[in-house]
This record gives sequence, C-alpha cells and structure tokens, in this order.
Amino acid sequence: MVSRPYYLLIRMSSGTEQREPDHVRTLGHEEYDPIGTAILIGIYFLILVLLWIFMYFVEFLGNGPTVVGMALTVVGLA
Amino acid sequence: MNIHTYEKVWIVASMVLIVGFIATITYGAVGPGIAMIDDDGGDINPDEINDDERFAEPGVEHVGGNEYEVTVVAQAWSYTPSEIEIPANSEVTFYVTSRDVTHSFSVVGTNVNTMVVPGQVSEMTAKFDEPDEYGILCNEYCGEYHHTMEGKLNVVPEDEFDLTELSVEADDEIDAGNETTITANVTNGMQEDLETTVSLEIGNQTQEEDVTVPGDGSEEVAFTVDSADLDEGDNDWTVTVDDYEESGTLSVVTPEGNESADGGDGDA
Amino acid sequence: MRNAYLDQFPDEARVIKAAFWSSFIALAIGGVLGLVQALHRTDVFRFIQSPDYYTVLTAHGVLLVIVFTIFFLVGTFTWAVTTSLDRGVVDTRFTWAWYIMMVIGAALAGITIFSGFLESAPSILGSELNADVLFTFYAPLEAHPFFYIGLVVFVVGSWLAGVDWFRTWLAWRRENPDERIPLPTFMVLTTTLFWYICTLGVSLSILVFLLPWSLGITESVNPLLTRTMFWYFGHAVVYFWLMPAYLMWYTMLPKFSGGKLFSDPLARVVFVLFLLLSTPLGIHHQYLDPGIAEGYKFIAMTNTMFLLLPSLLTAFTVVASMEHGARQRGGEGYLGWLKALPWRDPIFTGMALAGLMFAAAGFSGMINAGMNINYLVHNTWWVVGHFHLTVGTAVALTFMAASYWFIPQLTGKELWNRSVALGQVVLWFIGMTFMTNAMHRSGLFGLPRRTAEPQYQGFDFEPAVGTVGEINMQVALGAVILTLSLALFLLNMVMTSIGSNSESIPDNTYADTLSGAEDSPRILDNLKLWTAIAVVLVIIAYTLPLASIIDAGGLFGPDIEGFRLSTWVDPAVIESLSEVIR
Ligand code: HEM
Ligand SMILES: [Cu+2]
Ligand SMILES: [Cu+2]
Repeated sequence: MVSRPYYLLIRMSSGTEQREPDHVRTLGHEEYDPIGTAILIGIYFLILVLLWIFMYFVEFLGNGPTVVGMALTVVGLA
Repeated sequence: MNIHTYEKVWIVASMVLIVGFIATITYGAVGPGIAMIDDDGGDINPDEINDDERFAEPGVEHVGGNEYEVTVVAQAWSYTPSEIEIPANSEVTFYVTSRDVTHSFSVVGTNVNTMVVPGQVSEMTAKFDEPDEYGILCNEYCGEYHHTMEGKLNVVPEDEFDLTELSVEADDEIDAGNETTITANVTNGMQEDLETTVSLEIGNQTQEEDVTVPGDGSEEVAFTVDSADLDEGDNDWTVTVDDYEESGTLSVVTPEGNESADGGDGDA
Repeated sequence: MRNAYLDQFPDEARVIKAAFWSSFIALAIGGVLGLVQALHRTDVFRFIQSPDYYTVLTAHGVLLVIVFTIFFLVGTFTWAVTTSLDRGVVDTRFTWAWYIMMVIGAALAGITIFSGFLESAPSILGSELNADVLFTFYAPLEAHPFFYIGLVVFVVGSWLAGVDWFRTWLAWRRENPDERIPLPTFMVLTTTLFWYICTLGVSLSILVFLLPWSLGITESVNPLLTRTMFWYFGHAVVYFWLMPAYLMWYTMLPKFSGGKLFSDPLARVVFVLFLLLSTPLGIHHQYLDPGIAEGYKFIAMTNTMFLLLPSLLTAFTVVASMEHGARQRGGEGYLGWLKALPWRDPIFTGMALAGLMFAAAGFSGMINAGMNINYLVHNTWWVVGHFHLTVGTAVALTFMAASYWFIPQLTGKELWNRSVALGQVVLWFIGMTFMTNAMHRSGLFGLPRRTAEPQYQGFDFEPAVGTVGEINMQVALGAVILTLSLALFLLNMVMTSIGSNSESIPDNTYADTLSGAEDSPRILDNLKLWTAIAVVLVIIAYTLPLASIIDAGGLFGPDIEGFRLSTWVDPAVIESLSEVIR
C-alpha cells in the first residue's frame, strides 16, 4: 500500500483525535495485541543474549592476560 | 495499571537479562578471578616520585618464585622504563603512576589496561603464560603529543630471562712488568642464587671462574692480569657472564726512563 | 484555519526557533570537524598538524554534546510544555533571558576553544586563551578560565530554562488543580529534576576547584576528585541528551505511525526510573580508575544494569505503538504490518532508524556497563562507536527528523523538499553503520580513542578479522556520507526558512494514548517523592567514594599544579618528538 505523509492528516472534530486517509480501522486497547512487537523484541532478546555470551566468553576472556586478584588462583584463563 | 500481558512478559524477560548480566560479571570475578583496579595501590605525591621507595628506580623486580613487580612512571609522553622484559609463566604486579597529567597504561591486545591518575598508584596483577611481544600505549589524552606515547612489553621464554647485571672495573694502563686486576661485579636481581661462570678474555688468554651469586645480591670476581702475558700497546678485553659482556682496552706502557728518554707524562 | 505552533504561541515560537538555530550551527561546525578527525586519524587526508587535532576534538565534543544537544533540548522542552499544557510560558522575557545566557556561555567556551588554533593566542587574565582539554577537561590539564566560566554560564542558563518550565507548570496547576500532569510535561519535569541533581556535581567541581585554580587563586587540585565529580554529572548528561529523543518517540512517533501511544503509565514509570537512577552510577565511567574501591564500582554497575530496564521498556512501548499505527493503516500478519508504516515520511523514517540504531547501541552499552569486561574496551574506539550510535544517531537523527516537523510548525513554512529529507535520514543511517561498525571492531583489538595518529613505532594492531586498512576506509567512507547527509539537512533547513508561508501546515498536536494517564496510580506524579528518593540514592552511592578520595588526596590534592600543555612544553622536546614521528 502507498503510505502517505502526516501532512495530509485531516483535523477531526475533537481534541487531538486525528485521522488520515490511510486509516482503515480503529483499534482500541482491548482489540489490539502487539504480536508483531512481541516477535521483534523476542528476536532482539535472543540477539542480545547470544552476543553477550560471545563478547564475554570469547572476545573478553579469550583476550588474556587479564588483571586478576593476587590471592586467587587463576582457572581457565587462556 | 493496565499493562498488556506481552509487556508483562517482556518486563520479566528484561529482569532476567539484567540479572544474567550481573551474574556473568560476578562469575568473572570469582571464577577466573578478575579483579578491578582499586585503591590498593595507595596514593603518592607526584613531586615526590623520585624519592619514593618504589618509584625511584622504576623497572622489573623479582619477588620470588614466578612473581615479579614492575614499576612504571608515566609522564607526557613516555613511560619509564619504555621497554619491559618479563619471563613467560610469570605473575606480574604492575605499579604505575603519573608525574603530570592523567594517562593510561594499556597493554595492546590484552585485558591489562588501567588509567594512570596523578596522585594515585594503579596496581594490577596479571599472569603471562606464553612468550609474546606486546605494545603498550596511552589511551587517555595527555597533551599535544599524546599519540606518540608508547612502550613495549616483551614476555621472553623463561630460560632466556634473568635479572643479571654486570659491571667491570679495570685500569686503562699498566706499566710493563706490573700486574693489575680486572674486577667483575655481578648482581643478581632474582631471589634465587645464580650459578654461573665469569670469564675474561684478554690478549689471547682466557680466565674463567665459577661463582654463585646469592639471590638479590652481588658477587665480585677479580682477575689478575700480568703484563708479561700481554703485548706492548693496546690489549682488548672482554668480560662475559651468560649473555652479558663488557669490554675495554688495557694499554701496556713502558715506564719512563726505562727504555728511552723521550718525555712521557709520568704516572698521571 | 491553520493551527500550527506558530499560530498558537507566536512568542514562544520565536525563542524555540532561535534555540534550534543555535543547535544547528553547533551541529554544522561540529560535524565538519568530525570529518576532519575521521580523515586525519585514518591517515586518509591530513591537513592539520597533529597537535591541533586535539583542539578540533575538543570543539567537536563540546559543540556536539553540549551545545547542539542542549540547545535542541531546551527548544523541544519548551515546545512540549506549552503544547501539552495548552498555555504559554509565564513570561517570554524570562525565556529570552535564559536563552541569551546560554548563547553567551556557549560563545565564550567556543571562542576559547577555537583560539587554540591561533599561532599565538591572545593572553587574557594572565594566561593564553585556549582550552585543549577535550570536553571532559580532566585536571590537571588546564584550560583558560573563560572556558570554565562559559560552561557554567551555559549550565546556569539551562537551570533557568528548567525554572521556566516549572513555573509554567505551576501556573497551569493552579488553573487545573486536579488534572494529571500531561505526559510531555511530566517527561520535561522529571528530566529537569535529574538535570539539577547531576549538574550540581560538575558546577561545584568547576566553581570550587577548577576555576579558582585556573585563575591562580588556589594552587593545586585533586585530579581524582574533580574527575569523579565530572562523572557524577557525566552519565546523567547522556540521559539528558536522550530524554528529548525519548519524548519524541513516546509522544510524536506513534502519531507519525498512524497510531496511539501504547501505554502512558509505563512511559511515566520509565521517566521516574531515569530520575531515580541517572546519577548514582557515574562511577561506571571510572571502572579502570585507581583510588576507587571495587565495591563502589560494583554498586555503580548494578545501578547501571537496572537502568537498562527503562530503555528495554521503551523499546517495547515504542515498537508496539508503531505496530498499532501500522495495523490501523491496514497492516496485517505477524511482521507484514511493517510494510504498512509510512516509510516515505522522513520524520517517521528518521525516528524509526534512530530507534533501530539505539537498539544496536543498547548492546554495546551493556558491554560498557559490564564492570570487568571494561578492561577490553575502555578508552578504545569501541566506546566512540557506541556513543555515535547513541548521541550521534539515536539522539542526533531523531532531532534532525523532528526538525522536519518543528521548523514548519515554528515558521509556518512548508518543508522545502521531502525527498531530500528522506534521503538525508537514510544517508545518516548508512554513514553511521559504516563508521560505528568499524569503530566497534577496532576497539576490540585495542585501537585507542582520542588519538591523532594511532599508528605506532614499536608494534602493530592485530585484528582477528579484517585489516586495519579496511577498517580505516570504512570510517572515512562513513564520515564522508555523514557529512553529505548533514549538508543536506542544513540545506533543507535554510531553504525551508527562506520559503514562503503555507496554509497546509498540520496542526500542532501530540499522540493520543491507548492506555491513558487515568490507568496509572497518582503517586507517579508525585515529583517531590521521586526527587527525595533520587537524592537519597545519590547520597548512598557517592558519600563513601568521595570521602575516601578526599581522605587520601585532600580536597585540593597533593600539590598538583596545572599543565597548560600548549605553553609549558619545551620546544626542544617537540623538536625531538617530531623527529621520532617522522
Ligand atoms: C558528521 C558526523 C560525525 C563524524 C564524521 C564524527 C566523527 C568522529 C570521530 C572520528 C571521532 C573520534 C575522535 C577520536 O577518538 O580520536 C569523534 C568523536 C566524538 N564525537 Fe563525533 N562525529 C560525527 C557526529 C557526531 C555527533 C552528531 C555527535 C553528538 C551529538 C558526536 C559526538 C562525538 C563525541 C562526544 C566524541 C568524543 C570526543 C572526545 O573523545 O573527547 N559526533 N567523532
Ligand atoms: Cu596519552
Ligand atoms: Cu555512563
């Protein structure tokens, strides 16, 4: 569908209620489930987790030597 | 509040993410034992760095076993020492401070990295398992030539590393017919005794002596040289201990009036 | 009848327009300097001397993150308060007064910085006029007193702006005693409150320590103390830059998408969290500083991580609002609705791309927040990549996109060219993708930030993937695209301003909500309560670290005098150093 810019908004009767020609239906809070948002944000979550693990365990811990506490024995540092 | 179910789920997921991050960091601290730079290094007056026990002579020191201490003074735009040598398989504690403005001491390609704030001593310990050559750079702006501030950290194979120093005392001249001593002073910066051989080569002669230099101590070896074994004129000598050598020249001169009457300058 | 902002509030419109133009000028100069830096560092094109690089960098930092962002902010906030309260400011003379004060402060600091380019800068008040100290001005690097004075005047101007918004709100409150604070005003007020809390630190640092010291009244400073006071302010200020962008995402973007804001209550919660947590975590910029115990760093990290929450909530709410718009426009399917969004609208697209970049920035920000992983990235170009995504794109691109809405509102003139505007926002996105991706990658092998010539004598960088040369080319290419985008933006602004009056300017409104303020507990509007808690949190987080820093180094430090780097250096040193460089 062709999207139209905001300047074609037509001022409606009351308050800040505006409608544009592309407006094909009105969805209230009850009728609207942001399923697409849930999917997108779920993907984002996965990306964050995977990148975090990669950055911490591969990029960071693999970038030794690293500053360690003097008393502690060093385990598993490359 | 009227919060959509999906959004509630997302709030929970976000909290899980946050707690997971904190848990990872905590694991890093207790598992591999990563420690943050903190206030352990204490503070120091930048004007008194030269009188400070630790910083008066910056460089590498052996603490014992595989532990070393490296002190570094940063100033615009260099590190002292600019080149650091440590052995592989060592645990090194760095002490770094600044004479002037804020710098950093960052070992490139590693996680050894600290700010160096005037008035503070940055203390950090790291283990160096493998021989390698690292660059050191300053990543905090410290003035016009900040970009030229660099150093080197060389991790050498254990068996190539020592903290031996050699200095030699010798006369420049001896009278034909006399004897002189060439004294080698060997200092051992390691805590363990150093067993080695000091040798002197002069003319076509070689003298050797086995010594045991005590840990954190020094030993003198005196070689007696008889002019009779040498040629008239200049004789090159070299004293060697392990990889270190020092050389000089010893001239054998004929004392005045002994052979000819032309002027010499006596025994000045 | 046209009902643009100009028609509703003609006097306020004039001040806001002035504030926006001040910010555009800073953006224009700062952006060009950014190009100079990118080309110089990568050795693609060097036409300045490397010592001058740091003068350029100081100007780039101060102009963009202090002048550009904050001028735009005061304009946006004034618009938001008046629009949402539906009343003008109490007295526009007061509004002009703080605006002029900010201009004077910015000009004073700016002139001092730029004077650093002069062969022999004039000597005023007994010291040379320059400020090659970067925007963090870490003592004992020392700037001319005018630099510090300029900054303080600018900040005090912004304080008065806050007073203006509060006054206007209180006036409205008297007329509307029982109403909920309209969301845009709520956002402005909470942001202003944490701005007061955080700027207190940097102002004290300047007024008590740095300014007297640069004037020669006090002898020395405690570098760790002034540094800690800077960062007490330095993290909150990043949220200060971000909040006007959030305000636009919450209150305008849903409208541009053709929908409504998904949740007003959660938006309030988000801003309350920012008020509470923006300041007591500045120590996360000092993870690698000596003289601060690890425990304080850990506390700062925990606070930082929890401050991810409001941004993660924002991501959901904003995307859900866009989806709402898309579905009202006929969008279908799990992800098919994305196609129904108004992608030809530069305002929508600019903001949406800015938000997308912010999602990426969220990832690198999490890494920055992670205390010990900071050893890997601290002061590398990774960090510069990160904040060109945040302030350089999420904020700057949102501001530019918003300008396509604001300037017609403020001038009554139609945007000169929408296609150019659309191209502009897309180019910014592309340019930043190249530049910041390369910057992030180069940080991972240790390439330092703030360095004129990151090419060293004794060693080479060893990227795990790719080459240093390829990374440099991406940075340079990105910078050129960005500069082009910037030029198109300014062109559009100028052409719009000199265009002719138009009747077809849309009404000045902001987005409706699906779940409104009436769904949220009233306690959210209790600003006194939240401010009190915020202050307590700050006291908890900062008392002990500050006490131990003062205890160790004294208020005025152990005899640490100033370093005016461009004056005290022995010419012989420079000579021998430049020898080495060649
Ligand atoms: C034309 C667009 C831009 C280009 C080409 C550009 C380029 C650069 C480069 C190459 C640096 C790194 C300097 C170094 O580490 O040595 C830098 C630093 C910086 N940039 Fe930008 N930039 C641009 C726009 C922006 C914008 C819009 C902002 C903020 C609103 C911004 C804020 C900063 C800040 C705060 C720094 C750090 C200054 C410092 O380290 O003291 N830049 N920029
Ligand atoms: Cu430096
Ligand atoms: Cu921060």
